[in-house]
Amino acid sequence: MGDANTPLSTNEVRHVMRRTGFGAPPKALGKLLKKIKQAPTRGNVADELLGYKPKLYKPGGSDFYAGHNKWIKYLQRPKSPLQSKLVLFWHDHFATQASVVGEFKVMAWQIRRLHEFAKGNFKDMVKAINTDAAMMEMLDTVRNRKWVPNENYSRELQELFTLGVHDSAGNPTYEQEDVTQIARAFTGWDYEGNKPVAFLEEHQHDYAADWPSRGPKVIFKTYGGFGPDGVDFASNGEGEAEIDTVTEALFAHKDTDGQSTVARRITRRLLRFFCHEDYANPGPSEVAVIDQIIADSGFDTTWSLEALYRAIFVHDVFFETSGVAPYGVGTKKAIKWPIDYFLSTLAHTGMKLRTGDLRIFGGSYASAYRHLSQMGQVLLEPPSVFGWNWDQAWIGSATLNARYRFARDIIAARDGGAFRPDKLIDFDLTDPGDIVDAVTEALGIPDQVTTNERAIYIDYLTDNGATSTLDLNDEYVVNEKVHGLFGLVMQSPAYMLF
Amino acid sequence: MKVSRRRFLQGATAGALLGPSIFNHALVRNSLANSIGSKHLVVVFLDGGNDGISTICPVDDGGATLRQAYEAHRDTGSGGTRLLSGNLLPIGVDANTGANLGLHPSLQGLHDIHTTHGSVAFIQGCGYPEYSLSHDESRGIWETASPRGGSPPGGWVGRHLAAGYGPTDVPAVAVNWNLPGDFRNTGTSVLTMKRVEWAGFPYDWRYGGDTAAKRAAFEAIHAEAGASAQKQLGYIGQSGTSTLISSEAYPQLHDLYRNARPSWDAQYEDLDTAMADDFREIAKIMYGVQQGVPNVTARYFQCSKGGYDTHSDQGGDGPEDRLSSLHSEVADALKVFYEDLDDMGIIEEVAILVWSEFSRRIQQNDSGTDHGSQGPMILLGGKVRGGIFGNHPNINAAALDDSGNTPYSQDGADPFRSLDFRDVYGGILKQWVGMSQGDVLSLLPLDVGPASEYWTVENFDMDLFLP
Repeated sequence: MGDANTPLSTNEVRHVMRRTGFGAPPKALGKLLKKIKQAPTRGNVADELLGYKPKLYKPGGSDFYAGHNKWIKYLQRPKSPLQSKLVLFWHDHFATQASVVGEFKVMAWQIRRLHEFAKGNFKDMVKAINTDAAMMEMLDTVRNRKWVPNENYSRELQELFTLGVHDSAGNPTYEQEDVTQIARAFTGWDYEGNKPVAFLEEHQHDYAADWPSRGPKVIFKTYGGFGPDGVDFASNGEGEAEIDTVTEALFAHKDTDGQSTVARRITRRLLRFFCHEDYANPGPSEVAVIDQIIADSGFDTTWSLEALYRAIFVHDVFFETSGVAPYGVGTKKAIKWPIDYFLSTLAHTGMKLRTGDLRIFGGSYASAYRHLSQMGQVLLEPPSVFGWNWDQAWIGSATLNARYRFARDIIAARDGGAFRPDKLIDFDLTDPGDIVDAVTEALGIPDQVTTNERAIYIDYLTDNGATSTLDLNDEYVVNEKVHGLFGLVMQSPAYMLF
Repeated sequence: MKVSRRRFLQGATAGALLGPSIFNHALVRNSLANSIGSKHLVVVFLDGGNDGISTICPVDDGGATLRQAYEAHRDTGSGGTRLLSGNLLPIGVDANTGANLGLHPSLQGLHDIHTTHGSVAFIQGCGYPEYSLSHDESRGIWETASPRGGSPPGGWVGRHLAAGYGPTDVPAVAVNWNLPGDFRNTGTSVLTMKRVEWAGFPYDWRYGGDTAAKRAAFEAIHAEAGASAQKQLGYIGQSGTSTLISSEAYPQLHDLYRNARPSWDAQYEDLDTAMADDFREIAKIMYGVQQGVPNVTARYFQCSKGGYDTHSDQGGDGPEDRLSSLHSEVADALKVFYEDLDDMGIIEEVAILVWSEFSRRIQQNDSGTDHGSQGPMILLGGKVRGGIFGNHPNINAAALDDSGNTPYSQDGADPFRSLDFRDVYGGILKQWVGMSQGDVLSLLPLDVGPASEYWTVENFDMDLFLP
């Protein structure tokens, strides 16, 4: 059993960087170790990563395309990759489609909100999302009116944002009556202004006295551990107060084991995000880990996301898969999201995107938008309110080929000097094995390459042993073999894992 | 050996073309040997929950009160979702109620296939016990064919594929960005490609002299990873291998089709919709299979159309209304696709199944409809026995459950008895793909529970196909 004081090897620090940011570029690794000043431990690395001050994204861009590109550039800022990664998690969690929202500025304010709350208080975050203008458009709160309540937001608030359909024991967490009643609480909300502000239109709100046929404003009579009387969400007053009362009830909801339903589900999702997909359907041993992390962080009482992240980052489960390749059936890894593949590759190669379209000159000249859409992830346009499907669902021949194409575009970026392998590895090297090691280190995965794979790369460099050394001062050798090796490693399965 | 300038220049002119030796790759076995034979199955997913009652709608009451009940739940005027009976496209009579049924007027293309070929099966009231109103959960249930959990891993098509094909066979193509759940499996490769012309492998063309070396290294790295017991490595390794092989076979299908079938190509082009583009890709691949293009052996296809989650602004039967636009996009594309395959001479070897994760609430909200329970499936193809199968759900207010949805029933005495969607899947696997009853049941396990409430007795013998 390790804890916050457990020392970390350099490869383990790389592992932490891959999971909490975008790859493990040697320069960023060096900077991180330098900032810590002491020998790295789980705790001091976590504290350094979490020590960033949230920098607030400024909503910009007149339309979706411009705004999308501005946000990509913003996410690429190297100072706090963890902040970008967290915001991507929450963007997936509160998945909102810009095309449904319509007005891009409204969407951008939601993204700002996610940056603001990414390591804040989760209950406050849900309360902010309840009346977030983009979300109100996405899930029809602005069309939820007293005459005929619309259940869209009410259902997803429970199913996706807080409780989940089932708890860890496989039992339901709410019933249709709860969806119907919570929809009533959200009737009449709307927003106005360029920096959208939400307000309640009282004449559109469903007051209990006006609709006796809809029954009392009570939820969770069956599930949630509140007893047969459930929770009266008009108890703090009707109107504006109702949605906060509902939110408090959601956060007080207990599952069949008597544990906080919300804390368990959010912890589970974060473990799946940072670690691996066993947390998609946790068994008893995963549930035990979840409960321990909640206890370590106090998340079920404070709702502090920062404390929860730290408890994850120092837990054994975060490091159980940090060993050196080859990996066996028990090694738990996850597959990089397209945006992670994209940003980590730019970070490893030190490349900048050019022009307003964010292009890489030299290859196909495709824009960042095009690369990412073909990889299956257009930010601000998740496929539905469920967000993206993770892990193996990212991988198909179309999306894989898009990753290969992106890697090819990187190594074909010769004109204008955008891809500069001379800045990434030592060009005085001549031994093929040393060159392979230098390239896999530059790409942040020296620990994820097996001996057999290393031999295949050496065979590639030497044309199956036809030569024993390479001269990296020969530009043709560099253009063919060094560029080629970078491309092959970036296209390799090992590079796509974290 | 140092790389010489001469070698570089040779490579540059040779480009990324590879010799014929890669064709008929040993890893790609010919899927014709499998039980589907020379037939094809196309699965079309309407994503978001298609409103069944705005797809197949009662024209009149028949001997009961179907139209009255419909009009009681669906309004006219602003925000209304009602389809006027005079605008519906007649398809026949609901056997139970005697009511005439009609298609949404924007499904004209589908209606044309129905009237011209008589080869559209309208399968009403498809659902499953203890229905879920969650998109994600219900979609998963339809994809895995497992409402109560505990099914073998993968999707229903995927389990069938895994049973019949090897790890790097390519029996299926999803014309999609991501692998859909119904095709997911752990035994064989399903290609996902949005457009065949984009499937070529991206080599560094300016240094083409090195392409063969890059290809060899790529293949070796992916074979190494593909053999790994580590789950994700193995998966990406095998997917990479089949991507490489198909990247050398599929892109040519684009020009092959366009040159051979320009007038059909133009018809999809004229529609100018995502659905038409997707069906055209399937047509290109089927044409390649028919022409015997090496390493093009797909028999199972998938595509999808999103946007059916019409909580608001659903509209009625105005041609520009939200659901109307979705319906016409799908139906018009289906019609061109159907006729294209007919002209190729293969329509009798094609079955197309259209499904959605649930239908929508019978009572509308102020401008749309919330999540509901069972709805229709549609099956069409040259050998499909056209007609109306199953019962229209009972939409009388008194028959609805506490959530306002039509309940699922397997009670043989219930005149409105539901049809379990697994009977349709099983009917396709048995009657079309040619699996035995026992093999189908191993892929689609029956529920355990009271026979009136659960799917405990299979019926794979609905006469869905002509002999």
